[in-house]
Amino acid sequence: MSAQAMKVLAPIREIDELEMLLKSGAEEFYCGIVPSEWTERFNGPVWLNRRSNKGSSLETFAEMKALVDGAHAAGAPVFVTMNAPYYSADQVPLTLELAQRLSEDCGVDALIVTDLNVMLRLSELNLHARLHVSSVAATLNSEAIDFLLQFSPQRIVLPRSVTLEEIARITKAAGDRVEIEAFILNDGCAFEEGFCATTHHHSVGAFCTNLSDMQADFSWEGPRFTARRERWLRQNLTDYREWVWYVNGNGCGATAKGLPYGPCGLCAIPDLARMGVASLKIVGREASAFKKLASVRMVRDIVDRTRAGDSKLHVIERSIAMRAEPKHCESGMMCYYKVDACE
Amino acid sequence: MQWCLHVKGPRDLDRELTLRSLAPKLAQAFGDAPFTHVAYGTEFCENLVASGAGARATYEAAAARGLGFTLLTPYAGERGIARIREQLAALPADAEAEFVFNDWGALHMARRDFAHLTPVQGRLLNKSLRDPRVTTIISEASLRGGGGSAAMGSLDALQRANLDNPSYTNFLARFGVHAVEMDWLPQGTDLSFADRGVRVTVYAPFGMISTARICMAAALHYKKAEKFQPGAPCRHECQSHDVTYTYTNSPFQNRDQEFLLKGNTYFYEYSDLMISQIAAESKSGRIARIVVQAELPMFAEVAA
Repeated sequence: MSAQAMKVLAPIREIDELEMLLKSGAEEFYCGIVPSEWTERFNGPVWLNRRSNKGSSLETFAEMKALVDGAHAAGAPVFVTMNAPYYSADQVPLTLELAQRLSEDCGVDALIVTDLNVMLRLSELNLHARLHVSSVAATLNSEAIDFLLQFSPQRIVLPRSVTLEEIARITKAAGDRVEIEAFILNDGCAFEEGFCATTHHHSVGAFCTNLSDMQADFSWEGPRFTARRERWLRQNLTDYREWVWYVNGNGCGATAKGLPYGPCGLCAIPDLARMGVASLKIVGREASAFKKLASVRMVRDIVDRTRAGDSKLHVIERSIAMRAEPKHCESGMMCYYKVDACE
Repeated sequence: MQWCLHVKGPRDLDRELTLRSLAPKLAQAFGDAPFTHVAYGTEFCENLVASGAGARATYEAAAARGLGFTLLTPYAGERGIARIREQLAALPADAEAEFVFNDWGALHMARRDFAHLTPVQGRLLNKSLRDPRVTTIISEASLRGGGGSAAMGSLDALQRANLDNPSYTNFLARFGVHAVEMDWLPQGTDLSFADRGVRVTVYAPFGMISTARICMAAALHYKKAEKFQPGAPCRHECQSHDVTYTYTNSPFQNRDQEFLLKGNTYFYEYSDLMISQIAAESKSGRIARIVVQAELPMFAEVAA
């Protein structure tokens, strides 16, 4: 896998976003669908994929077919999330039926799945659509890659918490048996998504950001809980809350030019290319069209420079310049991956 | 039903091993009972995986007392998998021990290299939502009839996991997995899948809410710009303190709900209602074992 082959994977919510995302440099797309067949049976925090039933996904198969046809006409594949953490027995028949329609009627290229039971059932259906293992499946090591190969996935999405060192070992172990996808921009999870049992239901929001506004009390397990020790713990809590603020897109804000804030892995793109990562994931199906556009442009800019053979140092300088707020990059809290600039 | 005690090491076995002496609140709900099994290890943090010698010593101390032994293992990156491997390798080749996996890679490695150990699916691979901020409230609203049939369908799904799919439990059985571990859910737990012969272990009195590879406590000794990096080594700073968060910003009435943080993992403590639900379910025979964790289960290895 070379830098030329590494793709920019963009989120999309509707066909109206397709043309501008293609023009901005998107090379692959992923989206969700929540049809009425699902919402008539399930509501509240019981979601068909990792986004709320409302507002983040397409709603009809006709819309999906049009999106897939449009993307295919431009040579770009479309992947669809069916990555709820699990589906109970009552949900599986409908889930498989939806998968079948997405594959055979709409022509989607892959289904992004977390639940091993659904992977198993899909692998028995021999659908046109390939399987992508969702980051929510928490594939953190090469032994897990070997285990998941029994489902014949085309791709495995690594969680954002994997380090460059781990990605290097995983891609080496994976070889050409399965593609590896890595996060590059706009992920907002402070916890390990695959092991976070909370909901982002609109009534409460994300637990990780919710905690930052809660009363927090320390209990010390040593002999003396001095005022100095409590200040030390409190300062660390303040720092942690600042880090969560960063992870959450710097408070969900935007730069003066309207570019997306928040941590990223842009500086690591040359390393990820060298390791053979197949695809770079931009998060945010629910985001505004402008945020998606700006995100794709940023990632594609760095990918193009990497493809052109720019030095890593130049790529890093360009990445920091594009984020437009050097003080945030200098904070040490903006990086998905710890990059050695001199390597 | 069996009772299992999560211990920090062999020394924890040198005391009266009864529910009444070690978990009096649970003894009130269940009556007194002796512990017949011991759990050792960590489910949540690869930096807390103890040495092979520690696992071996605890196994031998348990065996000497006629207690069953279960090794708990966490989700893990490459280095964590190597440490888990060291632990498994340290157990005797003829050990009659269970190995709880919370990572598919750990299962894959153990089935290949340590096939004599009995694998058990850990509670982190049970993906049921357990968000005490809201799932209890949604459950109560659904039972009052709010939200119509979709709400009841949702509650039904919330009280289950993928374990009620026979295809999934048959899949686990292919790897020798016939037992699963779980938390008791704030919204109630449907264990009807156990009727198909799956052995269910329930943890008490703490359930997991969320866990992370980036740990607040581990950052205590780092300079600010170097804090909260994935893969950064720690000094087990989590052992010095706990944090209790109170849900003071709840949009509901549950502003006294507490969330307990130890190291990289957030927990909830079971309410009296939840403990009574477990006690009632245990009489149905669907719960094969309860693991008691008298403290938040983030134990670092204790020197012998």
